[in-house]
Amino acid sequence: MPRSPAACRWTCNENNSFRHITMSNVLLLLRRQFLAYFRSPAGYVVIIIFLLISGLSFCRLIAQSATETIQVGDILFRSAYFWMIVLVTIALITMPLFAEERHSGTLETLLTAPVTDAQVVLAKFAAAYLFIVVMLLPTLSHAVLLHLFRDAGATFSLKPLLTGYLIVLLIGAFYTAFGVFMSSLTKSMVVSAILCGLGMSVTFLLADNAQYALHNRPLEYVFTQISSVQHVLDFSRGIVDSQPIVFYLSGTVLFLYLSVKAIEARLWR
Amino acid sequence: MKDRKNIIKVKNLTKRFAASIAVDGISFEAQRGETLGFLGPNGAGKTTTMRILAGYLAATDGSVQVDGLDVLEHAYEVRRKIGYLPEHVPLYQEMRVAEYLQFRGRLKGLSRRRLRNRMDEIKSLCGLHNVSGRIIGHLSRGYHQRIGLADALIHEPELLLLDEPTIGLDPNQIRAIRELIKTLGQKHTVVISTHYLVEAEALCEKVLILNHGRIVAADAPAALAGLLKNKTVIAAEIAGPRHEAAAMLRGLPGVVGVIAGPCRDQNGSPAGEWNSYVVECAPEADPRCEISAGAAARGWALRELILEKKKLEDIFAEITGSVQVDLQ
Repeated sequence: MPRSPAACRWTCNENNSFRHITMSNVLLLLRRQFLAYFRSPAGYVVIIIFLLISGLSFCRLIAQSATETIQVGDILFRSAYFWMIVLVTIALITMPLFAEERHSGTLETLLTAPVTDAQVVLAKFAAAYLFIVVMLLPTLSHAVLLHLFRDAGATFSLKPLLTGYLIVLLIGAFYTAFGVFMSSLTKSMVVSAILCGLGMSVTFLLADNAQYALHNRPLEYVFTQISSVQHVLDFSRGIVDSQPIVFYLSGTVLFLYLSVKAIEARLWR
Repeated sequence: MKDRKNIIKVKNLTKRFAASIAVDGISFEAQRGETLGFLGPNGAGKTTTMRILAGYLAATDGSVQVDGLDVLEHAYEVRRKIGYLPEHVPLYQEMRVAEYLQFRGRLKGLSRRRLRNRMDEIKSLCGLHNVSGRIIGHLSRGYHQRIGLADALIHEPELLLLDEPTIGLDPNQIRAIRELIKTLGQKHTVVISTHYLVEAEALCEKVLILNHGRIVAADAPAALAGLLKNKTVIAAEIAGPRHEAAAMLRGLPGVVGVIAGPCRDQNGSPAGEWNSYVVECAPEADPRCEISAGAAARGWALRELILEKKKLEDIFAEITGSVQVDLQ
């Protein structure tokens, strides 16, 4: 039986408009969310504080390198201050993503527009991640300074620099996705930030310390594998392992998937 | 199946929340081009019904179709046909008016060129020309309402869902918004929710009165208002058994009907044994003396007896706020 022209037009239209809108929706939402960070002083303040602290810790390590040998990757990525401020920033910039929209009610206008929940989650994640990337960009100047002012005859190896940034970007994506998920669970930004901070401290602080304190082989193994500190130590020396890469990427996808589910759950409450 | 006549078809819609039933098996239809009103007190299920129509919540049971499409299964297509203004008009406070409307227009699938023309139309329609560069958070409630309406309208939806569009506005703003909705009603199918009887009367061709998640009456507003109008109406508050007192009032000469419900104190909780009654009488009748005598004879205290001084809508709101509704 031939399909009626009306039915055909209907499906074609639906498919075309869907394809047309999918990507542009994500970009539109991403743009709004990203710009929202800079509508108030908050975005600028966070970036300035980050640059101040990472810059000071860079200076301090440079001063130390006068008396002892420190590798490039160590100077750039192994400062606890650098990581502390990166993690705090992630908690701060992911907390409003859903919590604030839910609190102010804008989530309702957003989710009743012709967008899918997945598009919204993806756009919000991308906006927060872009903020982290923009915030990290100026730290490239540290690497440039190290290159320009290295001792005569000293070699400057690019590899630890690249792998160091790789692990920063991987860990950043993982925790940002985790923060998005925490924000999707609550309408209080404070609760979201606290949950996000607690979760990050599990893989960052707890795992790092627990692997030495435990005398339980399997648990010790698990904590060694998920310890972000361990990953940073390896990658900033140019040692690339596929295991953490898979761990962070799959973790990112998992938390984004859970966020979509958490947003969908509004339908059935 | 696309239905040429009805744009909204709701059958046995039920929404249960953890502890309560917000909407309890309601069914209704809205014809294309019609303006339909949900009338009822807070907590009657108006907002929940709106949210389900807009696809923000899912129904626990029953079917909801817009233009022949299930609102959840075809969420994407349905949402492009709907312009929704939620109750408290949530807006991104930090954005500028024009920028916000452009963002929403693009999100709803308008092309850049179409949007450019549409922006002018929508700004003049909603009276936003002189604020288009202002930051939304700095504008008044009335402007927020217009921005919300402009947002709902920007993609020229067939169906407009407006949840309490005049709440929190001053009388001039209310008049302006009502005029605007009236204009919109000529081109679009409009569903508005309100707890003002006069608003429903002024704007809607059909009114559904909701109470406790059920439709208690559905008719043209003139017919519904006729239930109370063209009669003398007396509001009375009597402390005594509700059914006996209602029976006493019905028995008085000239009384046509009695609507009874518990009085509310200032917190909105029932005020002990006090009940309020709306006594509808024949046009010329004035049984106030008989009412006071009847209450006194039975030893019931009487603290209010007003001859149509209260606005009809206040009485209505009080009554639908009660447990028992007896519209006859």
